[in-house]
Amino acid sequence: MKRRISFLLLLGLVLSLTACGHRHDVQTHQIFAMDTVMDFAAYGGDTQGFFTAATQEINRLEALLSRTREGSDIAHINAGGTVSVSVETAALLQEALDYAQVTGGSFDMTVAPLVNAWGIHTETPRVLTQADIDALLPLVGSEHVHIDGTTVQLDPDCAIDLGGIAKGYASMRVAQLFEVYQIEGGWVSLGGNVYTYGTKDGKAPWLVSIRDPQSPAGTAAMVGLSHKFAVTSGGYQRYFTAEDGTVYQHIIDPATGAPARSDLLSVTIISDNGTMADAYSTALYVMGAQGAADFWRSHRDAFDMVLITSDGKVLYTPGLETSLTWEEGGSYKASILT
Amino acid sequence: MAALVLALAIGSAVLFYGNLDKNQPLTAVITHHGELVDTVVLPHLKEEKLLQIDGEYHLTVSLRRDGVQITQSDCPGQDCLHTGTIHRSGQSIICLPEQVVIRLEGSGPGPDLVLG
Repeated sequence: MKRRISFLLLLGLVLSLTACGHRHDVQTHQIFAMDTVMDFAAYGGDTQGFFTAATQEINRLEALLSRTREGSDIAHINAGGTVSVSVETAALLQEALDYAQVTGGSFDMTVAPLVNAWGIHTETPRVLTQADIDALLPLVGSEHVHIDGTTVQLDPDCAIDLGGIAKGYASMRVAQLFEVYQIEGGWVSLGGNVYTYGTKDGKAPWLVSIRDPQSPAGTAAMVGLSHKFAVTSGGYQRYFTAEDGTVYQHIIDPATGAPARSDLLSVTIISDNGTMADAYSTALYVMGAQGAADFWRSHRDAFDMVLITSDGKVLYTPGLETSLTWEEGGSYKASILT
Repeated sequence: MAALVLALAIGSAVLFYGNLDKNQPLTAVITHHGELVDTVVLPHLKEEKLLQIDGEYHLTVSLRRDGVQITQSDCPGQDCLHTGTIHRSGQSIICLPEQVVIRLEGSGPGPDLVLG
């Protein structure tokens, strides 16, 4: 039988551990990049050097991978023709194709033409007609991406967007810098793509809140993490409300070309691979609760996850049994996946 | 009028260095374009404090003993309004278009960071 730990009791335990252990002076740093806000925290070692190097790495990756940044590899590819890209970009594109294959297309970087047409991430979103969607859907699919070494070509009118994995990849790159600068413990949050390094005080893991999708200032669950990547995707994060009151959230289902009609409110993936966690969080949201659970059962060694469903459930995988807590009597009923 | 969600292409800019001290009273740290606007120790408030932030957009921040929220904003995304009231250490409200960040720090057993 699952052992249920009181949410508040665990918080108290974490606090008491912190109080008993050596107090660390956790330094923080914040930047705006990749269309989001990014936070860094670290103690021990050369924290200022770490912050500077992390910022430089984020800026380098944005210049390389941003779809909207003039001169980036992705902008060049989307402009058409045969393009020579960096080894790093080519490898990441290949990784994106691999994720598209393993998720059955639920994650697909070639959905960009439809993302652009909906414009949910822009100042001018619009509601597409089925005819609009039908005209663009043939442009979606990995078969439109041709990679030969570092040479990349897209089929005409196609486009790619690495927004679904770029921050996850960046989190992996930045994670390597903790050791370089001899940091004892810390974390990064790149617009919700999180990596936790070491512990908060030499003992307790970093305490990570999973946001309540129905009350974004609130917490649906807490998880203690150390040396793990964690990413959450959910329709509540970005959306627009049309004049007729219909809410269109930002995650486009590559199969339908429309905002995903998921029975999930959010998907949190916890893994040793930040890029994969980023891709899977989006893909499993698109798949819905049943599809996500089935996918995890086929890949249970690769990641843990927390699903928050529209009917008020928190579903989590056994690997989180001792680290996940939730509020007793809260909005959600938690249960473990098997 | 449709509520729009904006994703600005914002160049990376260093905002601030600081440190986290969880043993301090619950404190709201408000930054605007990377500059510290105000630091408000919530338990010290006798009454609601309203903070006006002006830039390309205009925001009103309400600070009370029991929490902080943005009560008015003419930014295109309105994500900051959707966030609602924050009341626990580690929580934050972010307005990307105006680059406003409100973060609660201190007061013990809050999360270290927030996902989603």
